[in-house]
Amino acid sequence: MASFARFVRLAVGAWALLLLIGAAPVPVSAQQVNPTASSVHEQQLLQELDRIQGRVSIPDQRSSVLVQPQGREWREFHNVTLRWIGGVAIIGMLAVIVIYYLARGMVRLESGRSGRTIVRFNVFERFVHWMTAVCFIILALSGLNITFGRPLLLPLIGLEAFSEWSQWAKYAHNYLSFPFTIGVVLIFLMWIAGNIPNKADVEWARRGGGLIGHDHPPAYRFNAGQKAIYWIVVIGGGLVAASGYVLMFPFYTTGIEGMQIAQIVHAIVAVLFIAVMLAHIYIGTIGMEGAFEAMGSGEVDVNWAREHHSLWLDEEMARTGPNDTQPQPRHAASAAQ
Amino acid sequence: MLIKRTHGRSERHGSIAESLAGQAGGLDRRTFLRKSGLAGGALAALGTMPIGSVRKAEAATTGPLTAGATVRKSICTHCSVGCTVTAEVLNGVWIGQEPSWESPINRGSHCAKGASVRELVHSERRLRYPMKLVDGQWTRVSWDAAINEIGDKLLGVREKSGPESVYWLGSAKMTNEGAYLFRKLGAFWGTNNTDHQARICHSTTVTGVANTWGYGAMTNSYNDIRNAKTQVVLGGNPAEAHPVSLQHLLEGKELQKANFIVIDPRLTRTAAHATEYVRMRPGTDIPVLYGMMWHILQNGWEDKEFIRQRVYGFDDLRKEVEKWTPDEVERVTGIPGEQLKRVAKMFATEKPATLIWAMGQTQKTVGTANVRASCIALLMTGNVGKAGAGANIFRGHDNVQGATDVGLDIVTLPFYYGLAEGAWKHWSRVWEVDYEYLKSRFDSKQMMETPGIPLTRWFEAVTLPKDQVAQKDNVRAVFVQGHASNSITRIPESLNGLKALELLVIADPHPTTWASLAVEAGRKDGVYILPVATQFECKGSRVASNRSLQWGEQIVKPIFESKDDLEVIYLMAKKFGFADQMFKNIKVENNLPEAEDVLREMNRGSWSTGYCGQSPERLKAHMKNQAKFDMLTMRAPKDDPEVGGDYYGLPWPCWGSPEVKHPGTPLLYNTNLHVMDGGGTFRPRFGLEREEKLPDGTTRKVSLLADGSYSLGSAIQDGYPEFTLASLKKLGWNTELTEAEMATINKINPANPDAVSWSLDLSGGIQRVALAHGCVPYGNGKARMNAFGLPDPIPVHREPIYTPRVDLIAKYPTLPDAKQFRVPNIGFSVQKTAVEKGIAKQFPLILSSGRLVEYEGGGEETRTNPWLAELQQDMFIEINPADAAERGVKDGGWVWVTGAENNSRARMKALVTERIGKGVAWMPFHFGGWFAGKDLRGNYPKGTDPIVLGESANTITSYGYDPATGMQEAKVTLCQIAAA
Amino acid sequence: MARMKFLCDADRCIECNACVTACKNEHEVPWGINRRRVVTINDGKPGERSVSMACMHCTDAPCAAVCPVNCFYTTADGVVLHSKDLCIGCGYCFYACPFGAPQYPKVGNFGSRGKMDKCTYCAGGPEADGSKEEYEKYGANRLAEGKLPLCAEMCSTKSLLAGDGEIIAQIYKERVMKRGYGSGAWGWKTAYRETIES
Repeated sequence: MASFARFVRLAVGAWALLLLIGAAPVPVSAQQVNPTASSVHEQQLLQELDRIQGRVSIPDQRSSVLVQPQGREWREFHNVTLRWIGGVAIIGMLAVIVIYYLARGMVRLESGRSGRTIVRFNVFERFVHWMTAVCFIILALSGLNITFGRPLLLPLIGLEAFSEWSQWAKYAHNYLSFPFTIGVVLIFLMWIAGNIPNKADVEWARRGGGLIGHDHPPAYRFNAGQKAIYWIVVIGGGLVAASGYVLMFPFYTTGIEGMQIAQIVHAIVAVLFIAVMLAHIYIGTIGMEGAFEAMGSGEVDVNWAREHHSLWLDEEMARTGPNDTQPQPRHAASAAQ
Repeated sequence: MLIKRTHGRSERHGSIAESLAGQAGGLDRRTFLRKSGLAGGALAALGTMPIGSVRKAEAATTGPLTAGATVRKSICTHCSVGCTVTAEVLNGVWIGQEPSWESPINRGSHCAKGASVRELVHSERRLRYPMKLVDGQWTRVSWDAAINEIGDKLLGVREKSGPESVYWLGSAKMTNEGAYLFRKLGAFWGTNNTDHQARICHSTTVTGVANTWGYGAMTNSYNDIRNAKTQVVLGGNPAEAHPVSLQHLLEGKELQKANFIVIDPRLTRTAAHATEYVRMRPGTDIPVLYGMMWHILQNGWEDKEFIRQRVYGFDDLRKEVEKWTPDEVERVTGIPGEQLKRVAKMFATEKPATLIWAMGQTQKTVGTANVRASCIALLMTGNVGKAGAGANIFRGHDNVQGATDVGLDIVTLPFYYGLAEGAWKHWSRVWEVDYEYLKSRFDSKQMMETPGIPLTRWFEAVTLPKDQVAQKDNVRAVFVQGHASNSITRIPESLNGLKALELLVIADPHPTTWASLAVEAGRKDGVYILPVATQFECKGSRVASNRSLQWGEQIVKPIFESKDDLEVIYLMAKKFGFADQMFKNIKVENNLPEAEDVLREMNRGSWSTGYCGQSPERLKAHMKNQAKFDMLTMRAPKDDPEVGGDYYGLPWPCWGSPEVKHPGTPLLYNTNLHVMDGGGTFRPRFGLEREEKLPDGTTRKVSLLADGSYSLGSAIQDGYPEFTLASLKKLGWNTELTEAEMATINKINPANPDAVSWSLDLSGGIQRVALAHGCVPYGNGKARMNAFGLPDPIPVHREPIYTPRVDLIAKYPTLPDAKQFRVPNIGFSVQKTAVEKGIAKQFPLILSSGRLVEYEGGGEETRTNPWLAELQQDMFIEINPADAAERGVKDGGWVWVTGAENNSRARMKALVTERIGKGVAWMPFHFGGWFAGKDLRGNYPKGTDPIVLGESANTITSYGYDPATGMQEAKVTLCQIAAA
Repeated sequence: MARMKFLCDADRCIECNACVTACKNEHEVPWGINRRRVVTINDGKPGERSVSMACMHCTDAPCAAVCPVNCFYTTADGVVLHSKDLCIGCGYCFYACPFGAPQYPKVGNFGSRGKMDKCTYCAGGPEADGSKEEYEKYGANRLAEGKLPLCAEMCSTKSLLAGDGEIIAQIYKERVMKRGYGSGAWGWKTAYRETIES
């Protein structure tokens, strides 16, 4: 949009200039070159173009931009828009979760625990998940600090402590971006097979995922909600990673305008990402009985699997045969019961 | 109201007290100082407000870091403007630079170079100790060993080949005292092969301008340009070469609403501020000027009365001008007639008009003729000898005017006395050495009176067959103290010279390209490097372009093992065994001659140029009282006890002994002032009358003395010849000479005291008496439009040796081959061969060269300064977008530039820009340390390589020498460019 | 109190870079950090103008507004300074600055930013005026000594003006009136939301 507006402005400016030239009286002598009289003017340049750029002899070409007033728009975004988006997304999500939890409480295993378990995520999968998750949490906190720390945290702990913390947060943010990015890539490769949308998802979605009431729409290994999380992680993670690296390696790929856009993308995607992840964390922990085990021990109760991922359970059963997969009684679980 | 505000800040309208009242903690003093600092900074910066009404920061208190620092003043070493450098020194370390508000020349300002000179002194990359090349390795030696070995080798050359085989290449970087002693060293050694940068800078100006009206120097001053109604810059780019001068040019342009005309092949940073920019083809200055003159004569815009009274040879000139019709001018220069007519009209009718030039006119095979044509244009319009007018010739180095004046030159002894017997006798009297002794130092009396070899030809003096070099033997050794090698054209050929030398001595703060190219040439030994102090570590006088002398203090002691120029010269003289004779009247302490004493010796012998009144005491008083001089007139109030009535820096000529208190001459040839107020007349230097042939075959004698024009208050109200005892007698003024003065005169020429003239009279009596009668000691003559005696008495256009316009060569050929300055000048043959070989087809682009603001000269010193080097990190060539597109050359991309001679080639970056016209390319000449695409960083002694290296423009430049001076052709040659 | 500003009279600026090296000299600014620079617009064409640019010490400075750690402060003279002790080198001020003023030394990790460095209007930083610590972090504190920024003081053609905004605007206005032309007070509208009519 902005660039289109700019284009329009440019085009209009160019036409106006042409008209001016056309309307101006023919100079007395066509040969006269008067550099003083033909001097460029700042306001005119700013009207015609969105920035003023020239020539500098130093190799640092970014310094050739003399004035770029768009910083003002970016500042508005960073100080106002982003805080609204972030605030609404994150606080809104938290509110939804709280209300939902109060209304519905934990989604129980309706058929109770069978005592038999089935492997849902192997060690590698869990390692990748937790590596990414830990990175994400630190990245999220250190990122939120950049946007919300100054109004929220700084007044509480003072300039020095806040700066010290933010400095470490920045290092953490920069360095942990690497394992996070690797995690996102592995998640993408590792679980792509189970996350291709299919017909079951339509049904699952039509029935609202069973969020309301006690419905359990059938699902394969990943239900449509989880697939959504998967794609949000892959696409959102990819976007924050890419835009983050643009910011981390300034001027390698783009100029200041590009970095402003990268920062906007990074920030918006990140706050939405955080909001979504809050829901993910909720469902994976206190939101649903038996769900955490999937990423905890890696094994889930067969009943849990039947309720939430019936089609997957059927597949697993069919693939391995009931005899082979006679899961061991879970003593700890039994004891707890 | 011109100010539009969205946020009013009314509190600022309150008094200082009010604004302080609201301040917690009572920062009154600090706030007050800040406010006064503001006045000092911003308001003094304003040319439009009377300086007197502006408060300066009261010796602003220095912060704790600079507490206890001493302030010392010297002069910037980077161009001829003469900016004062104010240094803060603490514990022998130069810790800071402050603006020099008091200097009437720079008024606090600097350019990139001036604002960073501190780094030069404390540079990590300076030479630290003497070194010599042993088996291809740079090896440390002691000063004693170095001087001994160098001395022995030079004496060996002298023994074998004679004194002329040692080439003494001095420097415009030296103080007057250093340059003078260097010339004196040459004289005592027995050679006139003593030269310096003026050769490749303004030698053509010195010769051409002096041959027109007496002295070859800027007639007015930077400051005086403020008075001009029309400023024409032809062959100069002061915005980059003399940035601080632009303060005067631009403020003048604004205050006078002056025409600011720039005629140049490039739309330079100067041209960007012009009111009229004229693009010309390089190498056509004379047609441009004649084209203007054609319109002037056609319209009767010339100053007829001025010409009648003060100019000789107008009719001869008219004949030449008439050939340059607008059509022919456009054909040759590319400038449309209408545009030139407009420029000519402004120049001739909106007066005073000044003509400004620098190396764009001088660095050419027709350099002398170019500057002559410029002078003629000024004469024709009566624009000489007046405020706001004149030939404002911007010299290059900080002391190139001074080094020229003190005779560090091949054609003269100090102060333009020449080389004739009378000149040698004059200086032997000043030096109090026997003339016969000096003569015995030379190969012969004839060689003693023969001009030396120009530095532009040094390598040919080494490599040409012996019979082509008109001295006993080829040059065998070069002793270079403060001169770049990469500023000399034809570098590929100079490598042969470097290889063939028996000995090369480089005395400099940096190893320079002499060292890196000598190694590249294959030398394994016979090279010495002596670390010499920068001028900030030396004291002495320097002459700015406006002829003002300024005394620079020593800011810090020489760093590392480096030595003052004067000490190096003394050590060499001592080694040669003539130090006692040479320094007879100069105090020497710890091998260091005292600069003040050297200047006093110059004062005693420099009557011809009026360097006689500038005693060290007077110069120091000027530096101390800088603030008292008016910025526009450069004069101090008459009632000042120390510098009353003086012009700043006592611009020469400053007649008589210091006791005469002549104020100096701010504008040369200004008849509107009394000679004791700096007035003057044209100098009759070329005889009193001339026999002219008339068309009917008869002859007539024409007087060369002024006709009815004289300086204000002159007792003789017409032209008059120079003063001698005889002429004083004729006037009856000889009785005013004191007995002591008469005794000195009688001693100078016991046989014929009547012949003793104003310039030979060591008593100063003749000058004193002439001045007392309001007369100029040198006489009152006419300026010459016809400078008989020069190769082209009336300037004639001659195409550059390498020109793309081969069609014009038949009509405008270069001068025939000849022998000049001991070596052949085969320009004609070279031009002819180039035409026959079709060089212009293979190399279709005109190549010109010039300066960048960040660097100076050969650039090794400035390229070593990180603050400057960062701003220009790559050698480049400017090329027009159309030419670039044809060749697939991209802005910032690498290109190979190939030249017309020696299969020369150089690799550099392309700067694609409309600054330069189509068919022309331009390079800066400050780079060095690469050769033909090869990085020579390893050739420098470890740790002394400049930060930025690059190809030298002179790798590509080609043959071409001005017949009158030996000036090289650095501005017009041909090249081809291809993407690398 | 004075409100310090910069004004570059582009009809005087000749890109001599004195301001740039004066700055380097006064503050010993390392290679690669350019607190001040000169940009030439329309290079080589009639109408070409060069403008010397550094931190303009904006009114309601964007850098200060977006700084996540609030390391900027404005002095009583209107000079925008920052604390290198607080700065975390995030680069946000650079995104917000209309003049490209913030500079970052390349330190350590993958060419990322160190503590931000910029023009201080020769007014140092939060440390004690004229102290060694202040000099090492921010350079000289000329303002405390009653002097103005060296770049403007040394400007070859008196193009770059520094001082109280009203006074330098007055100087510029008089120049424009006298000579009859002016290409505008570059950056003023963006930095101070005001223009000087020319």
